[in-house]
Amino acid sequence: MTAEEAVDATPHLQGKWRKGLQALRPEDKPHIQAADTRALTGSFDLDSALMRLPEHALANRWDFGIGYLHENRDAECLYWVELHTASDREVDVVLAKLRWLRNWLDGDGKALDAFERDFVWVSSGSTHYTLNGPQRRAFADLGLRQTGGILSIPKDRR
Amino acid sequence: MKIPRHKRTGQQLRVENFGPIRQADVTFSDLTVLVGPQATGKSILLQLLKLLVDTAYIKREFNRAGVDWAGDFDGFLDVYFGEGMRSLWTNRTRITHSGEAVKLPERVEEKRAHRQESMFFIPAQRVLALRDGWPSAFNYYDASVPFTLREFSEHLRLLMSEFGVEGTLFPVSRRLKSEFRDLLQDHIFPGFDLKIDTDRAQKRLVLTGKESGGGGLPVAVWSAGQREFVPLLLGLYYLMVPAKAPLRKGVEWAVVEELEMGLHPRAISVVMLMLFELMARGYRVCISTHSPQVLDAVWTLQRLHDHGASPSSLLEVFNVAKTPPMSKLAEQVMKRQVKVYYFDRGAGITRDISNLDSSAEEAGDSGWGGLTEFSGRASAAVARAVANSDRRPRS
Repeated sequence: MTAEEAVDATPHLQGKWRKGLQALRPEDKPHIQAADTRALTGSFDLDSALMRLPEHALANRWDFGIGYLHENRDAECLYWVELHTASDREVDVVLAKLRWLRNWLDGDGKALDAFERDFVWVSSGSTHYTLNGPQRRAFADLGLRQTGGILSIPKDRR
Repeated sequence: MKIPRHKRTGQQLRVENFGPIRQADVTFSDLTVLVGPQATGKSILLQLLKLLVDTAYIKREFNRAGVDWAGDFDGFLDVYFGEGMRSLWTNRTRITHSGEAVKLPERVEEKRAHRQESMFFIPAQRVLALRDGWPSAFNYYDASVPFTLREFSEHLRLLMSEFGVEGTLFPVSRRLKSEFRDLLQDHIFPGFDLKIDTDRAQKRLVLTGKESGGGGLPVAVWSAGQREFVPLLLGLYYLMVPAKAPLRKGVEWAVVEELEMGLHPRAISVVMLMLFELMARGYRVCISTHSPQVLDAVWTLQRLHDHGASPSSLLEVFNVAKTPPMSKLAEQVMKRQVKVYYFDRGAGITRDISNLDSSAEEAGDSGWGGLTEFSGRASAAVARAVANSDRRPRS
C-alpha cells in the first residue's frame, strides 16, 4: 500500500492527499527542504481534515504528514510535521499534540501507522532552546525530533 | 564627550590569508567568543590582536630578554607566534584593524612610544607555566615558545611576590568575592588550600589539607583539573586587583583560551561566573572554547536579557546564592554585549553566529560551530528509534 492509498483508506482523510507539498500553506513550505523534490510523493493536512469533527475539534491536533521515498528504501517514509513556535511555554502543547497523534494512529489512523516515520517539531520562528539541553533528549525519549526552523529530508535515510 | 580609549580602538579586526584563516572579520564586544574546530586560527587571531594592541610593549619585553630578530620579519613571527610560524604571513596577507590597513612588517619595526600592556593573555598552554611548581621567568623559555605563554608565565612569577613567602593563594579574602571562594572550594579545591611552600630552598606551589596529612601536595600529584585551573586562577588574580580600581592599571582586554580545559561542568560554571566578573569590572573579554556549556551560558545570558528577565534568573541558572554582590554582578553583566564567531574550517572564514539561533539554516550556525552537532545527531537517532519502535508491521 502506498501512502496515498493509506490516506484514502483512513476515515475522514479520503481525497486529502496532495502532490508534493501542495497540502501545506505557502508560508509553511519554506520550512521543508527535500534533497530530491521528485521523491516527495505527497502530503496531507491532518489538522484541517479533522478540525470539524466533534471528537477532535477541541484536541491539540498534529499539523500534517509528508511522504518521501528515500533512495535507500523500497517504501515511502512519512514525516509527521508539527510547525510550531519552539519555546518552553509551548512544550506542553506540542507534547499533547504528539500524544493525540499517537492515539489517532492507534485508532482511525492505523493504515498510516505502518509506515516508517519521524515525528518532527519544526520551529516556526526562533528556537528558544539550547540544543545541547536535556529538553531535547527528553523529546527524543518520546520519539519527537526537533529540527530548528528547517526540516531537511536527505536522499538516503540513515 | 570623551570616548574611552577601549571604545575607540581594537573593535574590529579583518584578516585575509593569514595561516589557516582565509578571511576573518571579527568585531570585538564586551564578551567575544570564538568557536570552531582545532587549528582553524582562533588562537592565531587572538595573538594577532595582542600584537596589534601591544606592539610597543611586546617589542620592549623581547628587547629586555635579549631577543633580537635583526629586522627579519620572518624571524619575528617565529619568536612571537612560536617556532615555525613564519609561514603564517604571505604576500597575500591583508590585515585591517579598526578600519585601518596594517602593514605588519613595518608595524613591527616602527619606533613607538612605550605603552603599558593593554591585553592580558591567558594562553591555552598555561599549564606549562607551572610545570616545575613555580612560574618561570620569560627568559627561562627558549625562543621557540610563543610570546603569550612566556609573558603569562612572567606575569605569574611577578604576581607571586604579591603574596609573600609562605603565603596563602587560596582562599584569600582580598582577591575574590566570598561567593566565588565558596564555589571554588566546593568544585575545585574541596578541603584544600593553595599555598607557597619551600622545598630545599626552592619555592613551589602546593595544595594543603586534611588529605595531604599536613604536608603540601606538589603540582605533580594534583588532579588534571587542578593543574589546569591554578594558572587560570592566578591569571584571574592578576586581573582582579585588590584595590578600589576595578581594572589592573593599563589593562583593558582579558583573553582566556579554552577556559574549560580539565574542568568538570560545575567548575566551568564557576569560571564563567568569574569571567562575568571581569566583564562587570569593565574588561573587554575574549575567549575561545570547545565547550557547548560555555555557549549555553552565553545563550542564556542573551535570551534572559532579550526577554527582560530579572538578574536573579541568571543566578539561578548558575546555582549561586542571590547575595547583593552577586545580584549586582548579574545586573551588570546582563547589560553587556556578546559576540560569537564560528571559524569554519571548510570555508576558511569566520561566521558571526552571535544570535545562537538553533533554527538557522546553516548547519554550522544552528549547530553552534559544531559544538552541538553530536548532541543533535544523537537526539535525532534516538527520536527516530522511539518513533518507529511501536508502529504496526506493514501488510
